[in-house]
Amino acid sequence: MAAFGDHVREVREAKRQEDRRYSLRQVAARVGIEPTYLSKLERGELAPPSEETTRKIAEDLGEDPDMLLALAGKVSSDLQAIIRKRPKLFAELLRELRRAPDHAILSVVRQVRDGDW
Amino acid sequence: MITLSPALDRLQFHFPEVDKRARCEIGFQRTLRLPDDGSTYPLPAGLGQFPLRHIDDYADRLPDSFVKRGGVIMPMWQAEAMWLHFSGGGTSWPCAVKIAAGKINAVTGEAWRPKPRQQPQDYLVVPRQPWLDGFCVEKGVIRQFVAAPLGEGITAEEQLSGEAEHGGIQIIVYPMTRTAYDRLFPPRPPSSYEYMPMAAACARGMPKSMGLAAGGLMRQEIYDDPYDFDVWEQSVSSRCFVTILNAAQWHALIGEAPPTQPTTAAEYKRHGIPWFDYYATDRKALKGSSLLAGLKSFAHSALAMKTGPDAPVVPTPVVDLGPNKRPVAAPVREAES
Repeated sequence: MAAFGDHVREVREAKRQEDRRYSLRQVAARVGIEPTYLSKLERGELAPPSEETTRKIAEDLGEDPDMLLALAGKVSSDLQAIIRKRPKLFAELLRELRRAPDHAILSVVRQVRDGDW
Repeated sequence: MITLSPALDRLQFHFPEVDKRARCEIGFQRTLRLPDDGSTYPLPAGLGQFPLRHIDDYADRLPDSFVKRGGVIMPMWQAEAMWLHFSGGGTSWPCAVKIAAGKINAVTGEAWRPKPRQQPQDYLVVPRQPWLDGFCVEKGVIRQFVAAPLGEGITAEEQLSGEAEHGGIQIIVYPMTRTAYDRLFPPRPPSSYEYMPMAAACARGMPKSMGLAAGGLMRQEIYDDPYDFDVWEQSVSSRCFVTILNAAQWHALIGEAPPTQPTTAAEYKRHGIPWFDYYATDRKALKGSSLLAGLKSFAHSALAMKTGPDAPVVPTPVVDLGPNKRPVAAPVREAES
């Protein structure tokens, strides 16, 4: 999963250019992992971490956790639970939307309703 | 169109009719309520996002007057402070964003009108403006957004309109036109990655509206619009009403505990959470509103007495920031009482 490590390193380094708090050491400390572990993750030398750690990394870097989980080859546990509840329906829906353009997918995403005010 | 990201608790404004990159995100950050002692403080850190939910999911348990507005609901403890966080949602497509509290424009103090106005500017340009912490009372100074119940005469809405009718937060977003964007931002190589609890009696009854009052003073600039006014696509907009519920009502309605009670200045200091100053020498700040400058602050209300003393605090350490970066501190655990 080099994509995961490459992306984490790219985002972290970009942030570090403007804010020293995004050094490897400081990010690792906030996430609660060893700097050497984060370094190996970024270099793709280790498999992506657990969902919990991935979420913490996403939060620290201001990234979307679902996107980062996807790069790690994972689907978040809450999404899995949603699919397991109605597997046939969601499998059908996802296959149906597989090649749909973004705007078509957005049209089936639940919108925040505007009312009368 | 607006979607709600459950993972991030942010409102995501999309304008696919303009361009798939035309979008922005707005989140609501919990923060320290500043001492309202006449001093002007630096920026406090964010202490985590306020949760957001579709109001329609709880329509059967909320007053019709709330439900008909649509939008989302959000919990706040009485006297809790907040700031709004703006981002491009992974893009840098500029948007003009109008923010009101109780339908009082937070930049000008005027009554809500949906269209943006250039002079005096009554909107923010996002993502150039990364955050908004309160009502713009003078150039480079705001009064912090502090939650207060409607009906006590404390909210900005009641002070400026004389009515306690709306409460909440109102937002409308206009994207930049595609033509202007293409002219101002020539194409670049694509990225590899796109993309106090209320009284018990109140808690048992039907929810009452909460609004935003003006709290302590803080140094914050509301940046001017650097573009020509005609870059804004005024035929396309999305708007949202954010209804604020008090924390106890939220718990009863949603079945989830709201975030912990607000951090006090003393706890903030004890945990060594930094304050922030920022620099943006390339940006001009708006003058501030004389209407908003006349607001009585939260400290002048009887309610302030119930929510604890506004003891001054020495803001330290103060960290210099660039114009756009404002770290979010780890939430402060509540001390057991």
